[in-house]
Amino acid sequence: MSDGGGHSRPLEQLRGADAAMFGGKSASLGELIAAGIPVPPGFALSTSGFGAFVDEAGLAGRISAAVAELPPDDLERVNAVSRAIAEGMRSAPVPESVRAEVGRRYAELSGEAEPPVAVRSSALGEDSQDATFAGQQETYLWVRGADGVCDAVRDCWVSLYSPQAMTYRARVGAGGATPAMGVTVQLMVDAAVSGVMFTCNPVSGDPSMVAVNASWGLGLAVVGGEVTPDDYLVSKVTSEVVRQTVTVKEIEYVPGAHGRGAVRVEVPPERREAPCLDEEQLAALVALARRVERHFGGHQDIEWAIGRDGELFVVQSRPVTAVAKPAGPPRQLTAISLVMSKFGATADDSGEPRAD
Amino acid sequence: MATSTPVGAFPSPYSIETPPGCEGWEEMYPYHAFFAEARRAKDENRFWFWNSMHFPVPMPAFDVACIDSPYQAVGAWQNRVFAVPPAMGIDYRVINGYIYISGNPVTDPAKVAERAEFFQRRAGYYYANWDELYAKWRTKVEALIDEVTNLRVPELPEYEPDEVMFDDTRNTSFIDVLDAYQRTLRLGDLMWQQHFEFLLLGYGAYATFADYCKSNLPDIPDQHIAQMVAGIDVLLFRPDAELRRLARRAIETGVDAAFAEGRSPAEIDAELAQSEAGRHWLEELEKVKDPWFNMATGDGLYHYYRSWLDDPSIPYASLIGHIAALRAGEQIDRPTAELQRERDRLAEEYRSLLEEPARGGFDELLALSRTVFPYVEEHKFFCDYWFLTRWWNKLREFGALLARHGYIEDAEDVFQLGRHEVASALDELLLMWATGGEPLGPHHWPPIVERRKALLAKLADWTPPPALGVTPEAVTDPMTIMLWGVTTQRVQEWARAGDGDPNELIGAAASPGIVEGPARVVKTVDQVADVREGEILVCTITSPAWAPIFSKIKAAVTDIGGVMSHAAIVCREYGLPAVVGTGRATSQIRTGQMVRVDGSTGVVTILAGGEDDDA
Repeated sequence: MSDGGGHSRPLEQLRGADAAMFGGKSASLGELIAAGIPVPPGFALSTSGFGAFVDEAGLAGRISAAVAELPPDDLERVNAVSRAIAEGMRSAPVPESVRAEVGRRYAELSGEAEPPVAVRSSALGEDSQDATFAGQQETYLWVRGADGVCDAVRDCWVSLYSPQAMTYRARVGAGGATPAMGVTVQLMVDAAVSGVMFTCNPVSGDPSMVAVNASWGLGLAVVGGEVTPDDYLVSKVTSEVVRQTVTVKEIEYVPGAHGRGAVRVEVPPERREAPCLDEEQLAALVALARRVERHFGGHQDIEWAIGRDGELFVVQSRPVTAVAKPAGPPRQLTAISLVMSKFGATADDSGEPRAD
Repeated sequence: MATSTPVGAFPSPYSIETPPGCEGWEEMYPYHAFFAEARRAKDENRFWFWNSMHFPVPMPAFDVACIDSPYQAVGAWQNRVFAVPPAMGIDYRVINGYIYISGNPVTDPAKVAERAEFFQRRAGYYYANWDELYAKWRTKVEALIDEVTNLRVPELPEYEPDEVMFDDTRNTSFIDVLDAYQRTLRLGDLMWQQHFEFLLLGYGAYATFADYCKSNLPDIPDQHIAQMVAGIDVLLFRPDAELRRLARRAIETGVDAAFAEGRSPAEIDAELAQSEAGRHWLEELEKVKDPWFNMATGDGLYHYYRSWLDDPSIPYASLIGHIAALRAGEQIDRPTAELQRERDRLAEEYRSLLEEPARGGFDELLALSRTVFPYVEEHKFFCDYWFLTRWWNKLREFGALLARHGYIEDAEDVFQLGRHEVASALDELLLMWATGGEPLGPHHWPPIVERRKALLAKLADWTPPPALGVTPEAVTDPMTIMLWGVTTQRVQEWARAGDGDPNELIGAAASPGIVEGPARVVKTVDQVADVREGEILVCTITSPAWAPIFSKIKAAVTDIGGVMSHAAIVCREYGLPAVVGTGRATSQIRTGQMVRVDGSTGVVTILAGGEDDDA
């Protein structure tokens, strides 16, 4: 099978170890596909694409000079430098080598001419929490045409020099180094409902629950905090809905005119207060969450979407790092000593019952 | 009336008035059973709750034996044997015929520590030797059942037989009657003593497992915890299983036509007796009766609850239902293999979701809970049903003796007298039998019996508040929580009930699902037969003997009980929504009202006819 070039690879060929070159998001999508999880088909751009862009446009020197001495607390200067770099990058062309690869892979994605895709940055770094903080999580939805995809890819690269990204790097002492980023391009799911789920209850720490947030339309509204989503707590063991809060969902994101871009619209009144998910869909989400969790061997924060045709996809998964730990009893106590303390016969400091 | 009660407070026990026409109800109860002025300072400042789980209807005078003995027994074990550190025994009071209870806490830390030494040693011994001790327990209780069954209530002869002269060991009949009565009472005490020997520790082990699950799996539904522990092949399901088998047998042998809807057990028996196959079937039924017809028709501690042997209407209704279902091609067997698989699957799934060392504790506590569980379920069959129904019948024999001599009109009237009053009546009867004098009893007792019957009937119309006295900041008594499901949260819900939506009741979510339907309020056992297809059963508490009606109802709502209660367990098996421990469903809901039961959230809503029309 031709793999067609040095800057990109189909998502299904990626594994966890490729995160260093392709970023965490692309690598984890590759893992999910390998595990048989439904993920919209797509391809990934490695950091070399960004490198080639910076080199060919002759931007490397200019950027590092501008960034090197940047005082992170001087917001005005940070903003000015960010703007200048962005302008420089936007006026530079995407290198032909990259452009050709993107064009070919894009054309191979689907039978449809100019299919809509999502273009997302795929950050590097072990802890994607940091990447979130640094604002390196750009997403462009309903992008069409090879040129459009290339523009969106470049916009992702530009986001590396957003004020918050630069400030963050300066704070952690990586201000001088050249940053890098991968990009993920995936076929769009024409989402009727989308949202986020955790493979545990992040509030109580209960590992037997899947916590699901859901709202109408594209995932932007939930991820961006623009709606208060429906909130479901579902048992992994029986798929029973243990708790649910159905909210008023005022807005949703839908494809823009001619299926390009995402636009924010009001949710029609009849759907506004209706639950986004039924029991069957929740059960399917839970089954999916369990497979993702099992594959990665830890709790995951999963972005998902259900298409208008009812098909369910995972569009992103990353480890959950901040989970409340259930209190649990002190570990050294035996079952009998726990029963004793239930009756108010508390064990002494050694953790052992005083009598046998 | 909700507005005159301060938020979060219950009425003072000293503010409760006697319902009109019920004056003098106190005569039915012992002197120590009242909210007396002498202990007002203490009693008014305690939290009391109505024990509707065991005493849903006004207490007949004799049945007080089933308060005194069990509370002597539970206190003896809890306070004096195991010395449960923070809790002594349970006090009870009677008000307008209803029983309120309150635990006695141990508050002195030094005393708690002293008791902990006892508790750890003694309870530890029981847990370590559970199976062996429980086997001995079974032997002891079976011996009590035998003795109460075979105990002879002597007749009073015109002339004593010759043996009284020639046999040195023979007593005269007055001693025999006194002995028999005293022994009958003592057997009851002994049974209650055995009843509580394992109860606290059994429930304690389960409650610890439940707590452990909740601290490691904070959102786990209570019902999953119960499902992991509850036995599948437990004794209490055997009686109905035997009925299902007999139903199938009736069809196989072609005698099923006898089981027509609306026929009485006697009519069915009469038809069966006419054919060879029918007589065979009756022989098979006879073999099943011992022991499986020793179920009681209700779950309270009253003489009203007869055994299936005495009143076969429930098992026959069940047979009619099973036969009709089989004819309609339905599957009537409990899917035991499936239930077993689901129970094991739940346990395996939950343990696999835990990490070490939590997993180790889960395994140990689950194993311990399963060890104690047979006792928790089976003691009801042996003690509450088998023994008690025989014991009440023995007392009926004393009632018959008194009735034959005119002291009461009917054997059943004996239950209108306190057990010491019966002793007193027997004393006079024996005295008059001995002296040949003119008895006063036939003039003395019948009017008392009549008065009390009228009082009980009137008191039944009074609605007891779920609790009295001071609202506790937290319910800490382990027994109150474990046995009655009365938790801090439940008490607060009761306290708020007055100012919440009067058409909404909150209890424990015991079996998931949402249904709507007409309510059927069942307060006494003879109302069970009124339950119709598709109704929602509203009751104080259900009994395993009611199993047959669960195939008719859509959901169950109870006043009291937790997710381990019988109603909860059976509803989960039948896939019916259940809300238990609402505190006041039977007083708030009327038969025929449309209600919605949400067994997932524990909310019961009165939909129609629910407006407060006595305002």
